[in-house]
Amino acid sequence: MDILIYGTINSIALALMALGFALVYGISRVPNFAHGALYVITGFITWSLSRTLGFNYLLSIVLAIVAIGVVGALIYQFILIRVRGMAISEIIASYAIGLAILEGLRWGGFKGTTYTLPVFIEGSINIWDVPVDLHRVLVVGIGAAVVALLWLFTHYTRVGLALRGMAQDERAALMLGIDSDIMALVAMASGAMLAGLAGVVLLPLGNIVVEKGYDVLIQAIAVCIVGGLGSWMGAVLAAFLIGFAQILTTVYLGPHFQMVVALLAIILTLILRPSGLFGQQKELEERV
Amino acid sequence: MKARYLKVMVVVFAAVLLMLPGSKALAEKPIILGCPLSTAFLYGWDAERGIKLAVEEINANGGVTVGGEKRPFEVEVIDTRDLEPGVPVSEALLAVEKLILDKKADFILGGPVRSEAALAAMPLLSKYKKISILSTGVLTPKYTAMVAKEYDKYKYCFRIHGEAGQLVGEMFANFNELKEKYGFNNLFIIAQDVSHARGAANVMNKVALKKGWNVTGLEIYPTGASDFSMGLLKAKKTNSEIINIWMDMPESAILLKQWYDMKLPALPFGSTLAAAEQPGFWKATDGKGEYTLCNVVNAGNAPCDATPWTMKFYNAYAKKWGVEPEGLGSSSSYMAVYVLRDAIERAGTLDSDKVVSELEKTDVESVYGRLRFDPKSHQVIPSLDPKEGAVGTILQWQAGKRVVVFPKSIATGTIKLPPWMEK
Repeated sequence: MDILIYGTINSIALALMALGFALVYGISRVPNFAHGALYVITGFITWSLSRTLGFNYLLSIVLAIVAIGVVGALIYQFILIRVRGMAISEIIASYAIGLAILEGLRWGGFKGTTYTLPVFIEGSINIWDVPVDLHRVLVVGIGAAVVALLWLFTHYTRVGLALRGMAQDERAALMLGIDSDIMALVAMASGAMLAGLAGVVLLPLGNIVVEKGYDVLIQAIAVCIVGGLGSWMGAVLAAFLIGFAQILTTVYLGPHFQMVVALLAIILTLILRPSGLFGQQKELEERV
Repeated sequence: MKARYLKVMVVVFAAVLLMLPGSKALAEKPIILGCPLSTAFLYGWDAERGIKLAVEEINANGGVTVGGEKRPFEVEVIDTRDLEPGVPVSEALLAVEKLILDKKADFILGGPVRSEAALAAMPLLSKYKKISILSTGVLTPKYTAMVAKEYDKYKYCFRIHGEAGQLVGEMFANFNELKEKYGFNNLFIIAQDVSHARGAANVMNKVALKKGWNVTGLEIYPTGASDFSMGLLKAKKTNSEIINIWMDMPESAILLKQWYDMKLPALPFGSTLAAAEQPGFWKATDGKGEYTLCNVVNAGNAPCDATPWTMKFYNAYAKKWGVEPEGLGSSSSYMAVYVLRDAIERAGTLDSDKVVSELEKTDVESVYGRLRFDPKSHQVIPSLDPKEGAVGTILQWQAGKRVVVFPKSIATGTIKLPPWMEK
């Protein structure tokens, strides 16, 4: 039972980490390698607002997520738009931005174990005799809500439908009057906000450290590659596959093999099915 | 006339300046202390602060007397990043070589911090005949064993803080006391996947079995791991009463938070538990780290009166840096500078071979007790009594404070159990 419970928690956490990356790539085809940095910096912004400036915790979270959305939009508008369509340049530019943010934070003194965010709810409960803290239970709820809201947003709102149109066929969307640059900007801002949301939801479980940015990026890439780049549902399914594989590896092979799971998943997917579970990008090529 | 008067004044002023002892030392060529440290991590910055504090004090008193001249110390720090996950050992070696060749370091102090990097740096120190005094992080017994094995090659390597073997002994002294007092017999070991921690965990396992303990599990977590729930659940299922933790990564704070949230009936007893060594740990965990025990290797890294120098150092560090000594490398790095100064002054030269001989003769009272090196292995000689050797320190978090509970000669309190463990 503990495998089922903690496997689910781990999977939802992975899905939260990866959704922003999948959204940005799905719409704009820009692989946002600054994703991990946006995740971490949201944590530091929230920490600064609530602990240093004394803002209300919930208000700090909201302000931090909005701020990171603006940062995401600015990154797209002033940097990524110039290299859009040039895959290697997009990767280099976004990775450089991420690196600058993370190493800048380290240089600015944000290091050590003292940066933490309080959990949303204190206490723990026993689920089938397995102790689980209430914040982790909340993570599952928030993760499920985010997936549901994202689905509703992309199916029942004008902007969401435009985003889906872009994701399916950018040229056709352009012919229908959808401004692809605006939509890519919206996608980048939304992706950054999702990264930030994941940060403020998951970082209270541990501490805010710069290194987490690199780890989150690897996990998000692994989930998106396995799920199929650009597919949100694929990302959710892949998060469950990798999440449970990590827990099973921890239990049966030992925790030190856990780190291998994400990397092994990337390698196996690229060998066996490069388009991932739900990816469409290379499907035709693979069939040929 | 006016210009001439001004010139005379300048000459007189310069002459007065030269006559001042401190100024004279500062005018001499400085002795460069090269410090290869992982500065983004506790065991790097605590050492840097300890070294800089000692250097500031020594320079303020005129510097180091070398063959009749007063020379100041100067500190050069290069970030080795060796405590960061995924950074190869070669980075630390490059840092050491750069300090020697580029920064012209006369001595190496502090690190490298990770055992693997320090071991790999030994041939480099031997090649350039550079004296190195390790003062933070490196706990592997292999380091000083290599000096003993190939003395002529590695005689330039010293370690001024305790090593894993000593830490294991200190922990078992406490475990046995807990066994007698509360009937504990089940030990669960969690270690980080790095040389010293793996080695120490295996030694703990073997010693525990020999001493009649039931080892309920040994889990190795990779550096950077951030979820320990499955390991902790295993500890719970096996009715473990002590969780022995060997982790210096910041994520160990997550482990302790999870332990608290689960209300696990097992006492967290760590070594090189970086997160819990810091005074900010209480605030960072919102008090969830209460009852955590950790070995901070030497006295002076938590408040106590081991020697008259202990609190003097403690307060000076807190005053200069605005934070209390907070890692296992604080007091030892501070002392490394003083010990080196004494050896240089006795040798009257910076010649490595002569300073090595003088370092071997070191016998001083320090922040953490009598300080001597084993002449064969160059390991600082440990003791439970500060009058006899370098004393260790085990602290427990109690009501927001770091309380020293071991050794008894310097303890300021006793071990307490969390309420959910009290029968």
